[in-house]
Parts: sequence; structure tokens; C-alpha cells
Amino acid sequence: MSQPTPLVQPLLLQFQQLFFLSKMVGVLPQNLDKFRYKNVLEKSRNGMLYMLGVLSIYVVLYNLLIYSFGEEDRTLKASQSTLTFVIGLFLTYIGLIMMATDQLTALFNQGQLGELYERIRVVDERLYREECLLDNSCIAKRIRIMLIMTFIFEISILVATYINLVDYTQWLSLLWIVSAVPTFVNTLDKIWFAVSLYALKERFEAINATLEDLVMEHEKYKAWLTGDDATTATVGNRTADSQQSSPPPQYDSNLEYLYKELGGIDTGSLRNSGGKNHNKVAPIAHSMNSFGETIPTPHKPQRMNTNPLINMAHESELNDAAKVEIKLNNLCQVHDEICEIGKAMNGLWSYPILSLMAYGFLIFTAQLYFLYCATQSQSIPSLFRSAKNPFITVIVLVYTSGKCIYLIYLSWKTSLASKRTGISLHKCGVVADDNLLYEIVNHLSLKLLNHSVDFSACGFFTLDMETLYGVSGGITSYLIILIQFNLAAQQAKDAIQSFNSFNDTAGFVGAATEMDNNSSTLYDMITTTMMTPTY
Amino acid sequence: MIQIMNWLSMAIGLIPLNRQQFHSNFLVDYVMMVLVPCLYLAAYFGINLLQRFGLAFLDACNSVCRLSNNLFMHLGAFLYVTIFILSLYRRKQFFVDFETHLAEIDVVIQKCRQVAELDKSRVKAVKHSVAYHFTWLFVFGIFIFALYYDASALYGTFGEYAIIPFMVSSFPYLAGSIIQGEFIYHVSVISNRFEQINTLFEKINQETRRRHAPLTVFDIESEGKKQERKSAMMATKSAFGIEQKLADEMKRQKPPQLDDEDELNTSDEEDEDIFDYNDINTENTESTSETNLPDLFKLHDKILSLSVLTNGEFGPQCVPYMAACFVVSIFGIFLETKVNFIVGGKSRVLDYMTYLYVIWSFTTMVVAYIVLRLCCNANNHSKQSAMIVHEIMQKKPAFMLSNDLFYNKMKSFTLQFLHWEGYFQFNGIGLFALDYTFIFSTVSAATSYLIVLLQFDMTSILRSEGLMT
Repeated sequence: MSQPTPLVQPLLLQFQQLFFLSKMVGVLPQNLDKFRYKNVLEKSRNGMLYMLGVLSIYVVLYNLLIYSFGEEDRTLKASQSTLTFVIGLFLTYIGLIMMATDQLTALFNQGQLGELYERIRVVDERLYREECLLDNSCIAKRIRIMLIMTFIFEISILVATYINLVDYTQWLSLLWIVSAVPTFVNTLDKIWFAVSLYALKERFEAINATLEDLVMEHEKYKAWLTGDDATTATVGNRTADSQQSSPPPQYDSNLEYLYKELGGIDTGSLRNSGGKNHNKVAPIAHSMNSFGETIPTPHKPQRMNTNPLINMAHESELNDAAKVEIKLNNLCQVHDEICEIGKAMNGLWSYPILSLMAYGFLIFTAQLYFLYCATQSQSIPSLFRSAKNPFITVIVLVYTSGKCIYLIYLSWKTSLASKRTGISLHKCGVVADDNLLYEIVNHLSLKLLNHSVDFSACGFFTLDMETLYGVSGGITSYLIILIQFNLAAQQAKDAIQSFNSFNDTAGFVGAATEMDNNSSTLYDMITTTMMTPTY
Repeated sequence: MIQIMNWLSMAIGLIPLNRQQFHSNFLVDYVMMVLVPCLYLAAYFGINLLQRFGLAFLDACNSVCRLSNNLFMHLGAFLYVTIFILSLYRRKQFFVDFETHLAEIDVVIQKCRQVAELDKSRVKAVKHSVAYHFTWLFVFGIFIFALYYDASALYGTFGEYAIIPFMVSSFPYLAGSIIQGEFIYHVSVISNRFEQINTLFEKINQETRRRHAPLTVFDIESEGKKQERKSAMMATKSAFGIEQKLADEMKRQKPPQLDDEDELNTSDEEDEDIFDYNDINTENTESTSETNLPDLFKLHDKILSLSVLTNGEFGPQCVPYMAACFVVSIFGIFLETKVNFIVGGKSRVLDYMTYLYVIWSFTTMVVAYIVLRLCCNANNHSKQSAMIVHEIMQKKPAFMLSNDLFYNKMKSFTLQFLHWEGYFQFNGIGLFALDYTFIFSTVSAATSYLIVLLQFDMTSILRSEGLMT
């Protein structure tokens, strides 16, 4: 992917379809032409105006929708299921709020978003120079899969609800289509975030893979040397066997001096090659046995191929401390840069993510609660009519929770991948087993340790799986509480009704309504206290 | 004991047969893994679709009993299906990988033990403590009791068809527990390797302690010459830094030759002169178990990688098991306090259901506790290695002072461990860490649920079922 002449393809090349779609729907205000021809995101005033226009149209239509479908809610209010009514009222605008947050944040960030991808491109170039190749093509595939999934979910929810649960004899019922807009816009925005996050994760993994490759190469190299030792270095073996300690080391160390004299300048690499006993034995055995030439050359990995004897040699970059230092330094700097990009990206999307998480939590709870209400054949708010059908509810829940969980999972994985780099770096140090390299590695490792990336929603909570565990616990307990209150309310209502039907006296009715008022205020208080912690 | 568990898990089709050999008959390996789930699914769908043989369809079963039975059955189905799919996904690749890694690790450990002269005490490692046997007996005991209770109660109700309801009531929990048992086994193996490494580290630590004394006291009589040389060496170190390091490197890289001599010399003797390459360094390395250090560091790293692998395989299976354990425990307590206390003994089926909940909640809790304990142990052992290395570093042993390489190596190890700590811990796909904090969080969650659940007013339901007057 990254081979062609402009060094690397920009990441945004993969975003073509997504960009056109989000431009059309009004998720991003950036300039379309610039994107098409230069693959950059640039500010555009027209785009901004278009987006604001789209947003206001959405708001108007959504309000119209609420108004036209609000008729049925009057009966809900009348039928005294206060808890359900309050929750419905509370959640009426949450979809709209989420959508507005996404769009307004995109408007504010329109300049910075372009910079972000520019920074990623710079990182790609640097990675390319470190011979760490990235394959961006799977990102385009991912975007396509996500878009298809979004379409499937949105359309199946919309169509199933429209056919089953909306009275489509009136033309006004077509407004129901608007109810899908907020979630769709939100999903498009989140696909941008998710895919960019995935790209970051890939970059972290590419760094890790490069480091692991270094280790593997070096191990192969070592194995090759020792294998060579065993098979061809008969002289060395014999001496090592017969006179256990003294002669071979002396021999080696003397030769070591020789190398130094000959190799001369590059002390780092020399010391390095001195670090490996086996490194020496093989070439020495060769040279002494057969040809007796080119003694110092095998130690320089660059020159290895020039030696006709061992042109099958596995090279290992880890032998050359100076070169490796530069490489490791560069990789760590790139790692830092990616961490910074991750933080910047998290900053750009912090409010949308917070609103998405709040939305996910509330909608998940509410949908399940309304499902319960529907199974008890109570009336539910008209906007949540999808809860009347268990299958549609399942789709809605999978869609909503899938969005949230995928983001959380991806953030967690990215964070883990960034932490993994330190381990891989140390593996390099351990396998090369060289003093200079250890110093480099220790130094860089401290740097990495201080520089880890954690994704959070506005700093309220970190986006990792433990949060998910906490949230799932929260949803269950709220659900149990809600259902219990609903049960109690139903029992009270039944009791009142049976009471009323038996005694038709006015005094009792007065007492009962008073009791009901009390309970409704209680429900109000409870719902508000329950909803506040999530914000 | 492990063998029994392995046989059992093969028998009920949770791990493939011949899991150690890579090339064996594919069909034979997976035949149990297909048969048993089919049997289970047949029983499950048979009960749910045909509406027969289920406890819920008995006349004696009232609404509370039906609810709890359905919950137990569906929860079990969820548990079994997820666990089975994950086992099938794992196949035997994991076992082969695990064994090969373990073999590699063992070879290196063996080598290190030889160097460290810990060979003689090896016999001890095989012998298990009383607590180990007691735990196994205890676990087996409660499982046999749970299975016996369920089987006998079902036999009393359904006669020879008891196997069908048994498959949907106790079997999934048994299967889940056995998979956790496999997890326990693998974690305990890992933990054991960590312990062995720690003893090796500890050996080095003790040696440095012993060797440190003469160096500080300056025992001139015996070591004067060497001290002198050593100080000379120190002084010339900067000048001859390169040769010095070369020499040290040479010396360090010669463990195979030292091994032979180690067997002759005890560690306290100091006559083992390694040939000195540069004629400067005659300081000898009395007992050479510090040559183990690089190997040990690599080993530690390898074992941690192995634990990542194990956790990746078994962690996801922990999640449904813990969830099932949690739900069963809560409902067990709920049924026991709200139903059995009040109307115990009035309906035999209801009592059976309640006891089943209580028994399985206890059993799963014991297994979960053992899992958590072992994971916590393994974590602690791996942490301890870093602690011991730091201790060695603080003592400033001779081999460290004379050679920068050792110092850097140890520092590198401890730093790497910090990275590992941030990266890995035994966990269930990141949802929760498998250590004692998990117990705390579940207990606190369970308390709040219980408070909510105990407020349910059961009296009217019980009254309408005719259990209460």
C-alpha cells in the first residue's frame, strides 16, 4: 500500500465513500472538491452553511414528528402511568441532543480534523522510513462493512416499526422516517471516530510488529550462527571439547583485538559484536579452516553479503547499536506522536462520545423498561413504540449497544496495543543482550512508561471494558428498581380500581386521587435522581 | 487428580481427545465434542418444544417453581452454549502450543537449576501439600454431592427419563465448572513456574548476601591479591572499558563450561579460575548462579507470554461462568430467604428447586474463588520476581558492580515488568480483573441487588398458590 512515489498514501483516501455520505447527510462541513482532488479536509464556509441548514431542518422535522405523534401520549398521561410518562418525556429529545452535539462539534472542529489526518500522514511517512509497512486497504473494507451494517440496522428498524406499529393510512405517518435520522447521523460520525481509532491501533501494532521482527531476525541470526558453529566449526569445537576453559577464549580475545585494530572506528558495533561469543567462532572457524581470509568482515552486518562464504547469512539489525539506537529512537518518537494524535482525537470527539454513552445507557434501560411495560399491556410513549415488539427491541438494543461497545472495545484495544510497545522494546534489548542497547532501551522504556494513551469521555470515565462492566451493572439495577416501582404502581392502581368499583362514595375517591398524586411526585423525584448521575 | 479432571472433560466433550498430539484422527478427536452438545441441545429443545419431561410441566410445580426452573434452565443453556462455542473455537491448537511453550520453559528452568545447584531439591516440587489434596477432595466432594442430589431427586420424579431434565439442570453448570477447572490447572502450572523462577532468583539473592560480606570487610589474608586486582581493574575500567566488557562478556557467555565445574565445586570455594582474557581480571565468580540471570529474565518474559495466551483462551469463558454464578447465588439467597423460610416443606418440587439453587451457587462460588485465588497467586509470584531482583540490585553484588551489563540487564528487567504490569493481568476480556477485587465488587453488587430483591412482596403470590394461608 505504502510503496508508491509520494511515499505513503494518505489515510483519507480510504474514507472516500464515507466522506461523500457524511457530507450529504450533514455530518461534516469540509470542502468536497478539495477532498476529492487532494484528499485533504479543509474548512469550507458553504459546507458550514449547508450543515447548519440541514441541522435546522432536522430539528424542525423532529419537532413536527414529536408533535404529530404526541397525540397518543395524552392518553398515556390520562392513564396515570406517571413513571412511564416521565421517562418518555425525559428521553424525547435525547436523540436530537445527541445529533446536535455531533454536528456542532464537527462544525467547531472542522479545521482541526484536517490537521489530525495530516499528522497521521506524517506518522505514516516516518513509519515508512523505518521500514514498517502499513496496509490501509482493510480500513476501506472496514468502513464499507460498517456502513452496510448501519444501513441494515437502520432500515430494518425503520421498516419493521413502520409496517407493524405505525398507522400508515395517514400521510403524516411518513414523518416517522425522521425518527431514524438522529441515530443515523450519530452512527456516521462514530464511524469516523472508530475507523480513525482503528487506524491508530494499526499503527501501534505496526510498531510492535517491527520490534518483534527485529527480535525474530536476531534470534534467527543467532540460531544460524550457533548452527554454523555446530556443523562447520570443527576446529573450534574440538578445542572447546578437549581443553575446556583456556585456549578458545584466549584465541577469541586475541582475535577480538585484531578486529578492533582492523575494524577500528565503530566501537559501538564492535563492542556489540564482541558481546556475542558465537558471533566470532563461526567466521573464525571458517577462515582458519578453509580460506583464512576476510576475518573481520563477518561482523559487519552490512558487509556480510560481500563475504562469499556466508552470503546466506541472516542479518540482524540489532548487532549495530548505533543504527539500532536511531531506529528505536525514531520508533519511540513515532509512538509518542501516535499517542498525542490519540489524545487529540479523543479531545475532538469527547463531547459526542459522552453524549453517545449517555444516550446508550438511557435508551438501553428505557427500551427494556418499555418492553416490560408493553408485555404488561400498559401504554408506552409513542416515540418508543418499537418496544412493543420484542424482535424490533432486540435489533434496537443490538444496534445501540453495538455502537457503544465497539467504541469501548476499540479504545481498550488501542490502549493495550500502546502499552505492548514497551514490552516489545524490552524484548529487543533482552535478545541482543548488549550493554549499550540496554541503556538505550531502559531510557526509552521510561519514556514509554510515562507516555500511555487512555481514552476517556470528557474525563468522566475511561473508555475501557471495566467501564462496560460497571455500566451493565448499573443498567440491571436501574431496571430492577424501575420494574419494581412499576409493579407497585400497578398494584396500587388495581387496588384503587377495585376499591372504587365497590364503593362509589366520593370521599374515598378523593382520598385515592390524593394518594395517587403523592405517588406521582415520588416517581418524579426518583426518576430525576436516577437520571442525573449519568450526566 | 488433574488426570481425572482431564478425562472427565474429554468425556463430556469439552476438550478434544488426544489434545497433546498434533497429528491424529480429526474425527476421533472431536466426536465427543459434537455428541454431547447435540445430546444437550436435544434435551433442551425437547423440553422447551415438546413441553414434556420438564420440571415446569409437572402439576406440582407452582408459578414460583416454574419461574425459578426456567431461569435455571435458560441460564444454564446460555452458560453451556457460550462455553462450548469458545471451546470449539479453541480446539486443540491451544493445548499443543501450551505444551510446547511449557516444554521450552522447563528445559531452560532445568538448565538454570543445574547451574544454581538446586537439582537435589527437585523432588520436593512434585510433592503436594496437604492443603492441595484437601482442596481437591473438597471440590470433588461437593460436586459429587451436587450431582447426586440432583440425579436422585430427578430420578424420584421422572424415573428412567431422569437423564433428560438432568441434562438441562445440572449438566451445564458441571461443564462450566470443569472448564474453569482446566483454567485452574493451566494457571496453577504457570504459577508453579513463576515459583520456580523465584526460588532461582532467591538463590542468587542469598549468594550475593553471602558474598557481599568478605568484600566489604576486605579480607586481605585470602583475597588481598584479588582485591588489589579488582581495584586496579576498577581504576582502569574507564581506560580499558572496552576490553573489560569484552572479557566480562566472554566470561558470562560460558555457562556450559562452567556447568561441569560447578558440579565439582561447592559454591563457597573460590578456586575456580576462569581464564582471564586480558590478564587484568582475576576476580572469580565463586558460585555462578548469576549467569542464570539472563535466562531467568527471558523465562519470566516467556511465562508471562504464556499467561497472556492462557488468559486469552480461558478469560472469555470466565465471563459467562461468573455471570451465571452471580445470578444463581442471588436467586439462591432470594429463594432461600423469601420462599423456603416461609413455606419450606410444603411443596417437594419447590424445595428441590430451592436446594438446587443453593447447592449450585455454593459449588460455583467455590470454583470461582479457586480461580480468583490462583490467578491472584500467579500475579503475586510474577510480581515477586521483580521485587527479588530489586533486592539483589540493592545489595550491590560484585558481579553487578564489576559489570555494567548486569546492572542494565536487571534494570531493564524491572522496567519491562512495569510494562507488563500495565499490559497484562488475568482478566475476563477486560471486563474485570481476576483477583480479589472482583470478589469485593461482586459482593457489593450482590448486596444492592439483594436489597432490592428482598423488597419483593412474595406473600400475595405465595398465598395465591395456596402455599400460605
